[in-house]
Amino acid sequence: MNSMALEIRNLAKQFGDKVAVDNVSLQVPTGSFYGLVGPNGAGKTTMLSMATGLLRPDQGSALVNGVDIWAAPHDAKATLGVLADGVRQFDRLTGRQLVTYAGLLRGMDREQVATRTEDLLRVMDLGADGDKLVVDYSAGMTKKISLATAMIHSPKLLVLDEPFEAVDPVSAANIRDILNDYVSFGGTVIVSSHVMDLVQRMCSHVAVIDGGMLKASGSVDEVRGGMSLEDRFVDLVGGRGTSEGLSWLRTS
Amino acid sequence: MVAHLLRLKLRLLGNGFKRSPWQLVGVIIGGLYALGIVVMLSLAGWFTAEQSELRGWIAILAGSVIVLGWAVIPPLITGVDLTLEPQRFVHFGIDEKTLARGLILAGFISIPAALTLLAALGFSTIWRLDPVVLVAGLLCAVGTWLMAMFACQYLTIVATALRGKRRFRELSFAALFLLLVGLGPIFSTIGSNAQSIVELLVPMSAVLGYTPLGAFAAVPGALASGEMARAAIYAGLALVYLIGLYLLLTRATGKATVTPPAAQRASTAKGLGFFKLTPATPAGAVAARALTYWFKDPRYALSVIMVPMLPVIFYFAGGSTGSYTMMLLLGPMIGILMGFSISADVSYDNTAFALHVLTGVSGRADRLGRVMACFVLVIVPLILAAVLPAALTGQPWRIPGDLGLSLGAFLIALGVSSIASARYTYAVPLPGDNPMKTPPGSGARVAVTQLATFGIMGVLLIPTLVPYVTGWVMHSTLAGYITLAVGLITGSLMLFFGIRIGGRTMDQRAPELMQSVMINR
Repeated sequence: MNSMALEIRNLAKQFGDKVAVDNVSLQVPTGSFYGLVGPNGAGKTTMLSMATGLLRPDQGSALVNGVDIWAAPHDAKATLGVLADGVRQFDRLTGRQLVTYAGLLRGMDREQVATRTEDLLRVMDLGADGDKLVVDYSAGMTKKISLATAMIHSPKLLVLDEPFEAVDPVSAANIRDILNDYVSFGGTVIVSSHVMDLVQRMCSHVAVIDGGMLKASGSVDEVRGGMSLEDRFVDLVGGRGTSEGLSWLRTS
Repeated sequence: MVAHLLRLKLRLLGNGFKRSPWQLVGVIIGGLYALGIVVMLSLAGWFTAEQSELRGWIAILAGSVIVLGWAVIPPLITGVDLTLEPQRFVHFGIDEKTLARGLILAGFISIPAALTLLAALGFSTIWRLDPVVLVAGLLCAVGTWLMAMFACQYLTIVATALRGKRRFRELSFAALFLLLVGLGPIFSTIGSNAQSIVELLVPMSAVLGYTPLGAFAAVPGALASGEMARAAIYAGLALVYLIGLYLLLTRATGKATVTPPAAQRASTAKGLGFFKLTPATPAGAVAARALTYWFKDPRYALSVIMVPMLPVIFYFAGGSTGSYTMMLLLGPMIGILMGFSISADVSYDNTAFALHVLTGVSGRADRLGRVMACFVLVIVPLILAAVLPAALTGQPWRIPGDLGLSLGAFLIALGVSSIASARYTYAVPLPGDNPMKTPPGSGARVAVTQLATFGIMGVLLIPTLVPYVTGWVMHSTLAGYITLAVGLITGSLMLFFGIRIGGRTMDQRAPELMQSVMINR
């Protein structure tokens, strides 16, 4: 078994003049629950897109369970499940059809897809909405069904870009339980998020990324060094305004 | 407030051009083309001025076309630039009346609106012989233009409110599309029955003059022929219509600014649908997904409607010329068009294509699935379209040739499209958007890609065309059978290689394809 579920080596990407990801290397140990945090526009999504085969990097490589996703994409993707941020789904399918579709695309057999689809719909609280078109789902429901499409083939590594955005607290708790369970049985999860509190409670490891560069990485306790993750994050990233911002907003 | 809204609209118009230089180029080319039309219209007006008999009726017809065009085309077909949609102002506490006035005025600021005004004014040269009438004509041109703008805005608001229901939207597009496609045949039938243009024009205009469509445009005509009373009636009616429409519009705009968008009705589908019927392989799954889209996505549904519509159009076209030769080309036409229709598949997927990239489905399975869906859908109507015309017109010797050309064209088109859609994407209406809407400035690129795709299909079809034409000219069944053989063999080969090459292209370029659909979202 590979000791690194995801190994990012010197990934870089430039869009025109803007350097989106600047020579980032990151190692995600197998069995870890890895949080990826950073302010808006830090390059999280760009980095994850390159690590999951959606965006060709200018340089560098990404190894998924030891397989280079750019050299052997088919093999690497077989053990990888991804929830991408900011992409559509085939939303004229029903939720049940969409999850089935993801399973069949992976080459799984029909019975297995059918049972797993029902299981996934059940744990995502979508059992009653399985026959509704995805286009009619709320933002949170769409997140959940997308998560289901990422999990149907029981991957060894799950890369989830903003999985909790717009998801209600009950569903979020359910998803966290599923993910915790998954990690405790040897799976690896990478989540990107803005919610420091969530990352601190949920993750074993964390990486802070800002301006396309890796600012810190390691176990959560190492990175936060006795402070709360949120304070440490603000420390690393900077940019807190002074408290005298909007004097006119004090209505009294 | 009103000034702010106008400035906002101008700024939006300007920023739209800044997004990409190509878009600007597209707009400029389009603008020059439109200006050319304006000049042509002005000249047409200038030279019709001496036709004192007819010019009044022609002017009414022209005015009515302007108003009707604005009332129907933007709200229902092309979609309107909704950056200043009244509902966007729900959250601002702006006085309803002020806001309504501002939004209505802001609606006047658009390139098509400016061009329409120019065209209407230019066409007023039809009254150049009498200065008094010319002044009235210019004023009435402005009136017609105002009527067109108000009608467009009012109907847009009404249509937007109704459009909250997705099913309505899809149905209305399909119905409108059918109507538009059917218009040509209907007019040609009416036209061929009327003895002369005059016989058609005069009664139509006489009625239109009393409706909101033509009331303004009717005034100068009545003045020119010295019928003051009739001119006064037209003018009175026109003003009443305009004021009435303005009041309706302000009320509707005001209401829309305080009404939150309607919630959509959820629609459902029982079970797995096509996924149960196709083989449980990646290619089978792609086919099931594509088939679902052929029926559920209005952008595809339009192509499906073409199949039954083509024979109808050809039939009427044949009726007006007296020759039904066109009907014999139905099969090849349907084959080429339907095969071509999957060449924009990845563009239609938009970013949902990410699922294919992430699951690592092979390019070959992806191509094969899309081809299978189209094939299953088209093959039966295609064979009918190839066999029936010859059989019904008592020329059975044609059947093998027609069949050969139709199948060959279809298979080759599928093969070429499989490569094209793996290599090129272009701006198409987004999922859930109005299927008739073309993203601005995309014209040139789409045209070049599609022209090239059609050109290649044409070249590959030559080996099949040679025996086909020979058979047609010599009435030879043998040549027909050769056509059938050549069509099937070259078609199958092209399809095979199309899927192979397209699949390999997709495997290599999946991330690049993904990026190119990300741009248009």
